[in-house]
Amino acid sequence: MTDLADGHEQLYAELNAAWAIAKKDIAIYYFKPNIIVSGALFPLFMFLAFAAGNSAGPLVMIPGLISITILFSASSIEPVSIPIERRMKTFDRLVSAPISLHAVVLGESLSGFLYSIGIAFVPLIAGQLIFGTPITSVAPLIMGILLTSFCFATMGTLFASYPTESPGDIMSMLNLVRLPLIFISGVFIPIASLPSIGQIVSYVSPLTYGNDLIQSAYHGHTHFNPVVDIAMLCIFILIFQVCANQLYKRWNE
Amino acid sequence: MHAIEVDHLTKHFGSLVALNEISFTVSQGETFGFLGPNGAGKTTTIRLLTGISPPTSGSATIFGHDITTETTAARKTMGIVHETSNIYDDLSAWQNLMFSAELYTIGKKEREQRGKELLELFGLYERRVDKVHGFSKGMKRRLTLAMGLINNPKLLFLDEPTSGLDVQSNLIIRDVIRDLTSRGVTVFLTTHNIEEANLTCDRVAIINKGRIAAIDSPERLKSTIQSVQSVEVAFSTVSAGREEDLRRIHGVSEVRKEGDKFRLYTRDPSVVIAAVMEYAQENNTRILSFNTVGPSLEDVFIKLTGLKIHTKGVSTVD
Repeated sequence: MTDLADGHEQLYAELNAAWAIAKKDIAIYYFKPNIIVSGALFPLFMFLAFAAGNSAGPLVMIPGLISITILFSASSIEPVSIPIERRMKTFDRLVSAPISLHAVVLGESLSGFLYSIGIAFVPLIAGQLIFGTPITSVAPLIMGILLTSFCFATMGTLFASYPTESPGDIMSMLNLVRLPLIFISGVFIPIASLPSIGQIVSYVSPLTYGNDLIQSAYHGHTHFNPVVDIAMLCIFILIFQVCANQLYKRWNE
Repeated sequence: MHAIEVDHLTKHFGSLVALNEISFTVSQGETFGFLGPNGAGKTTTIRLLTGISPPTSGSATIFGHDITTETTAARKTMGIVHETSNIYDDLSAWQNLMFSAELYTIGKKEREQRGKELLELFGLYERRVDKVHGFSKGMKRRLTLAMGLINNPKLLFLDEPTSGLDVQSNLIIRDVIRDLTSRGVTVFLTTHNIEEANLTCDRVAIINKGRIAAIDSPERLKSTIQSVQSVEVAFSTVSAGREEDLRRIHGVSEVRKEGDKFRLYTRDPSVVIAAVMEYAQENNTRILSFNTVGPSLEDVFIKLTGLKIHTKGVSTVD
């Protein structure tokens, strides 16, 4: 009984600390110029580059814009905040607190998650107000935004585990992954239209499943079963969280 | 139960042996100093004892909790003040303190009360809403110490607490350390400031190249090298070649200029005193002050760590 109570108490402590870390990130990093550029402006310019000359209507483009906005914004906080905190030695404060590394990783990811949700509302509302794009199903849209945001926030935390004090080092590595994801995840080119090798590669992209859910909110149909989309996003979150935890542990040695 | 119990603790970074089988204990309520030159292994020891970095071999317990297997329980008992003032420049002093408290799951009412007390104690309450980036180095250090005390720790780790600080901050921090020990808090501090260790610590461990060279109270350590005594003398006039003249006095092994005084190391102070008096007469100068001085902790440190004194400073003997 005491062990159970201790377990509950520690779980509360871990969640409380994770939330404190997220609040700290929100207060410090959300309005840093490099976060605004990489998390909000970069996806917009990427979208405009693709949209120019693309005959697809807003019904395809708006969910695509929401997907890439989530990809970039969710994974932009930690690759900036964690190297800065390493340089300022404030990261030592987090890893020496009476909490597990899981709580630190969760807290860092939460800030990217919340940032992404806020930014994702910009194309969502713009789509409604400017193009009047109808949303046929709200549930997959909510699930898509929540899970995809958390998945890419955790991916950002994973990349930020690389022991550097320069955000640029991590951003460079991250872009090597983020940019190809746009082409292979059915954001602007439907998965069914990809060559067979492209279709196979798309299965290992978390953006494929997130985008599929978000697109379905507008079109009413999905490439995969929505349950598969949700399950795959949950699996990616779990993999990123475990890998991030292991890498932070390893680099601390 | 000891506050800290370290048993053959070793840390390797690749082929570099940062700590080599160190063992020691720290009693509850004791102020224990870890003294050593830069790169001796002081910060590595703190990182191992606080569970930030795992040991390669050996073990350490904090109030009976193994730091490797019961890390969270061990950390709940301790406060940590890192070498660098690792605070968030973009947050206010108050926000920094509250964030620290939340990491330790301290309830809102308690953390606000404790935060107010600590900011008042460290003379920062009036500046609580100001962002930290405008603070001086001393103010940042005081805030870092306040953050280390927010959870009311039974054991406080201080990594170079007063390094490079102004006099006011130094005095405040030393007062707080004295107050903590009077209330039974165990303090483990690392320093390369010998005088700080001498004034603050009940016991001192001298560490060099990852090994502990000696552990004892400052006075006992000094008594181990009674053979090294010195005569401190100040003259009424300044002369360019005086240091060299004094070095030539029979029985003097080393001369160090310390401000307006000279310190002459010898095994036989009586012989040197007579020779210095004679020197003053011959050179038409008066002696303003004359003291015989026993070995200092600095002398012990130099002897045990193999540092060699030169006339223009101290260098390591490889």
